[in-house]
Amino acid sequence: MGFDAILGSFAAAFHYESIAIILGGVLLGYIVGVIPGLNRAVAIAIAIPLTFYMSAYAAIAFLIGLSKGTAAGSAVSAILLNTPGEPSSAATCLDGYPMASSGKPRKALKVGLLASVIGDLLATLLLIAVAIPFASVALKFGPYELAAILIFALVFIAGMAGGSFLKGLAAGGMGVILGTVGLDPETGAMRLTFGYAELMEGVPILPLVIGTLALAEMFVQLDEYRRNKGGSVIKLGKNTDDDLSYREFKGTLPTIFRSTGVGAFVGALPGLGPSVGAFMAYGLAKRTDKDPDSFGKGNPKGIAAAEASDNAVIPASYIPLFGLGIPGSVSAALLVGAFMIHGIQVGPLMLRDHPEMLFTLFSGMIVASLLMLAVGWYGLRLFAKVTSVPAHIVISVVIFLCLAGIQVQGYGTFGLVTVFVFAIFGYFLKKFDYSFVTFLVAFIVTPMLEMNLRQSVILSGGDVAILLQRPIALAFVIFTALLVLHLSWSAYRQWLRKRLKAPEA
Amino acid sequence: MKMTLLGSALLASAVALAGTGLAQADDFPSKPLTLVVGWGAGGSTDIQARVLADIMTEELGQPVNVVNQPGAGGGVALARLANSRDEGYTFVFGTSMTITFGPLSSETTYDLDDFRYVAGVTLGQSAIVTGEDRPFGDSWEDLVAYAQENPGTSYATQTALDRMIIEYIAQQEGLDLRIVPTSGGAGMAPLILSGDVDFAYSGGTHSGYADTGEMPVLLSLAEDRLVAFPDAPTLQEAGYDINAAEIRVAMVPQNTPDAHVERLAEALKAATEDERFIEITEERILMPVTWMPEDEVTQTLSDQVEGYKALIEELGGLPGEDE
Repeated sequence: MGFDAILGSFAAAFHYESIAIILGGVLLGYIVGVIPGLNRAVAIAIAIPLTFYMSAYAAIAFLIGLSKGTAAGSAVSAILLNTPGEPSSAATCLDGYPMASSGKPRKALKVGLLASVIGDLLATLLLIAVAIPFASVALKFGPYELAAILIFALVFIAGMAGGSFLKGLAAGGMGVILGTVGLDPETGAMRLTFGYAELMEGVPILPLVIGTLALAEMFVQLDEYRRNKGGSVIKLGKNTDDDLSYREFKGTLPTIFRSTGVGAFVGALPGLGPSVGAFMAYGLAKRTDKDPDSFGKGNPKGIAAAEASDNAVIPASYIPLFGLGIPGSVSAALLVGAFMIHGIQVGPLMLRDHPEMLFTLFSGMIVASLLMLAVGWYGLRLFAKVTSVPAHIVISVVIFLCLAGIQVQGYGTFGLVTVFVFAIFGYFLKKFDYSFVTFLVAFIVTPMLEMNLRQSVILSGGDVAILLQRPIALAFVIFTALLVLHLSWSAYRQWLRKRLKAPEA
Repeated sequence: MKMTLLGSALLASAVALAGTGLAQADDFPSKPLTLVVGWGAGGSTDIQARVLADIMTEELGQPVNVVNQPGAGGGVALARLANSRDEGYTFVFGTSMTITFGPLSSETTYDLDDFRYVAGVTLGQSAIVTGEDRPFGDSWEDLVAYAQENPGTSYATQTALDRMIIEYIAQQEGLDLRIVPTSGGAGMAPLILSGDVDFAYSGGTHSGYADTGEMPVLLSLAEDRLVAFPDAPTLQEAGYDINAAEIRVAMVPQNTPDAHVERLAEALKAATEDERFIEITEERILMPVTWMPEDEVTQTLSDQVEGYKALIEELGGLPGEDE
């Protein structure tokens, strides 16, 4: 891949058609981000069918634009409504809402926007810088290394995705079981298909994703909608000193850079997710500030920290995706699904087989960052109004889109039944707080894990000693064992503490 | 903002309607088509299918989307196609072996008579390949000698047919091989390039490495020696009486109306004459482009089935059947 080719891929990303598609994605993402209750996963899940009519590049660029847009848009409702548009913007409410209620909503929105864009752009550059050397190393990995790394990643996600470790493992186990449905790769035997030809190539990913993510989320929303209605929106006034000066912006820059670092770090580790990143960065900004008491009362640095980190997590979570083929977040797992539908195997092989695609995507991501700034800056007023779209309209439109999306893919009645089964399944996953990321990532990587594991076992003749010749694989096996011990130990301690406390209560 | 929501709702419903098949038979195709590839993305069938889809999109005036349904050596895609009722809107582009040998080697829900073979467009160049710097070099004879002395020499299989051939050879030569499954050329290549596997079946991926010499060919599985690797002997030349020559064909379900098959055949014919298809096929994948109309392909395939049946009989059943 020469320098000319890289330039060529940038030219492709700056073509007006591709800019229009990315703009569409960012715009839609922004709106979704602004509307509370409509989150990123829902948006990507229902947008995948819309991308059938696009080229593979356009489809992925659209989805990436969409996922980035949601992260920036969610700040709007956090600031104006005190309700985060995405769960990950909850930290933005802490300073955003007080600042907006004290008559400076426009300033708060602009700080949030600039922090979002800078965090996103820097993390995207980091992704580009890190993913390629990563992928060229990963290309040399054999089945032993890949199997070991995949198992490690799954355990790591189960432990980190929040909630209890056991529930994380259970969610991952369910994903693995569903991932093994279909024909056995070696013998061609049918597994768990119950005679349905439709299940021969596995559980279809789209009904699974739309059901568990989008439709189930709408059920949860309906539930909440019945309980609490209302909430007051802060309107953008005509107040002239409600604007962001260059000096104020400069004051938040160190916070933005530091928080971007936190976000990028959290994003690169699979399973943690943007909420963790945002709260970690917020906490860090508060602790290291000269005047920590001003946080929570409308300090622009608070908004900047939360938003920069929230947005940095998204591109950073694509590092393990493009570098190793391991999706570390829900949106990355969904992208794998979208890639599969468009016939591209995402991971280090992309660097060798579709380098032009990879570079065009990277440049598309940079374009998306810049468009985010433009969309957010000029659409400020507009998006402030979107916060008041009533939930009953949003929910019904989304349910319609979910079902239409299944029909587009041509799954027919089977698809509709599947989508409802998974909607109910997803509803209970959410209700009982089972880690969704773990479930989805396990489902997506299981075929890859199974193939590599079986290859390893056959090639080594079932001899464990092979690991001694494969230090990388051995290291990951040891990490996995240590991780399981550590996580079980802390889970056990938590359980003990709960039991000791119980009699007092 | 309600406008935007309304707009996307309208768009989605338009899309949904287009998908549910309000199409009339006479103006085929009146909605997007799906070209199914029974192999993973990045393999040679997949690379070819994508160019084919682009050209057919132009010829038919409707988008042709490529969908990968890998598994069971292309068999998953065919099993699904056999149940398809959408009259040619979904068709499979794949290798003849899936349909000729597949039903013989495993219990399939389909066989040769379940499909119509719209046309053959490419002659396969499948081969037994290896990597660079192997202890046995890049000659078939040396590999056999090496494997006889080293039990546990590893081979990566992708299809039931290459598995039968290799087990037949192993039986003839007295080899004890470790046979690992992998899916598609994209799954095989890393195993061979990294040296984790000694030798492997390759549907066509090896041709891409013809210039660099990273993936030497040990045996040609085509009727003749391979265009890009004239030094490697064919199966027959190496002393095995097997004809596994492969043709790449487009298939639709048996119940597809004649008019639809003809329309698809026209588009395929145009593709075989299109520079882009010729270039990707002959210069990148290094397989000769050909044109075999429906009756010719159907005859050839049915001859091959007879050949395989005879071979299985000669072997006294399928090797590895008890696995």
